[in-house]
Amino acid sequence: MSDQGSDDQGFDVQGFARDINELLILSSLRAGAKHGYQIALDVETDSNGLFRFQHGTLYPILHRLEEDGLIQGSWSREGGRRRKVYALTRRGEGRIQGGTDRVQTIASRLLAMLRPPGEATA
Amino acid sequence: MSARSLDPHREVLREVGQGLALPLPHRVRILRELSYDLESLTDLLVGQGISAEEAHRRAAEALVPDRAALDQLGRLHESWYRRRTRAVTPDRLRLVERGALALATATVLAVEGLALRRVNLFGDPSPFLVPVLVAGAVLSALVLGKAFELFIKGDHARPRTGLTTILAVAGATLALGVGGTVFDLYHLAGTLERTPALAGVLTPLWLGRSAVLMVVALILSMAGALGWFVLSHWVSLAEGAHREVLGLPHPSRLPRRSDHVEAVE
Repeated sequence: MSDQGSDDQGFDVQGFARDINELLILSSLRAGAKHGYQIALDVETDSNGLFRFQHGTLYPILHRLEEDGLIQGSWSREGGRRRKVYALTRRGEGRIQGGTDRVQTIASRLLAMLRPPGEATA
Repeated sequence: MSARSLDPHREVLREVGQGLALPLPHRVRILRELSYDLESLTDLLVGQGISAEEAHRRAAEALVPDRAALDQLGRLHESWYRRRTRAVTPDRLRLVERGALALATATVLAVEGLALRRVNLFGDPSPFLVPVLVAGAVLSALVLGKAFELFIKGDHARPRTGLTTILAVAGATLALGVGGTVFDLYHLAGTLERTPALAGVLTPLWLGRSAVLMVVALILSMAGALGWFVLSHWVSLAEGAHREVLGLPHPSRLPRRSDHVEAVE
């Protein structure tokens, strides 16, 4: 995950968006192992439609997370069809914690800038 | 009718497959994963009362990777060798690869020669021994080159290219050995016709030469044929899995041209 929250490196909006997607997938897998479209459906449902994976953007993220060891993919059979199921790894759990803290820091700074002076922050 | 039985996703999968310039096993795994998700999501949407056609459309819209996503998948799964050589221009890389192949051929030839010299089989060799050794070295280089292309470079655009050449060179190596033995025999027969007294000396010599030539030709051609078998078997398995996930028939089950002509008539 990139360090777009740090002051000395500046803020990378695209990297931040990518990190959000990764965190959404990782946190969706906290409930248990799932296959690709189930992750996409759950993210969409849990966020009331705010976050949606369209045009197959889910797969590069899943495969990158798998390569980084944050999730583990395994093949199984269901009704004669082979499906790939992803499960969260211990390393992935750690990434959720670190990523959540960073998102919170960035969101706090952003809100502090956007809100009028004197208004209390949440 | 089940949404799955309509199977409209195969066309989509074929397009995705064409957009993935990856080794066949990676391509198959990505397509298999996508295939399951597409079918399952379609079934789910149909179960919610959406028409099959609309369900297919929505599933494809959500899950089928666009160009950018395909490029990302391509970069993620490209071979170690391609990652390492990304900065090298294709022309330069081709030059280096061909140089390495030539070096491999020369090395194999040198090793063959040294091995024969060590067991003292170069004492009175058949004139066909050197051509057989050269053919064997070329054969080894072809097998190594194809193995490099399939397993290290991961270039599976045309995986069968070069396999027939390997088999042909293996056959040519054996043919050189057999042909050389027969040629030497005729040569011996001609000599003995003129000077029969030399039979006791020349016949054992011919036997020795022919044995060496045939053994070397057999070993080299069989090793090449074994290489061909392993490589072509692997390609068949990979292609079979690719065809299966795309719902394509096996080439042997495709209608023959004559069947088509009959049907038209």
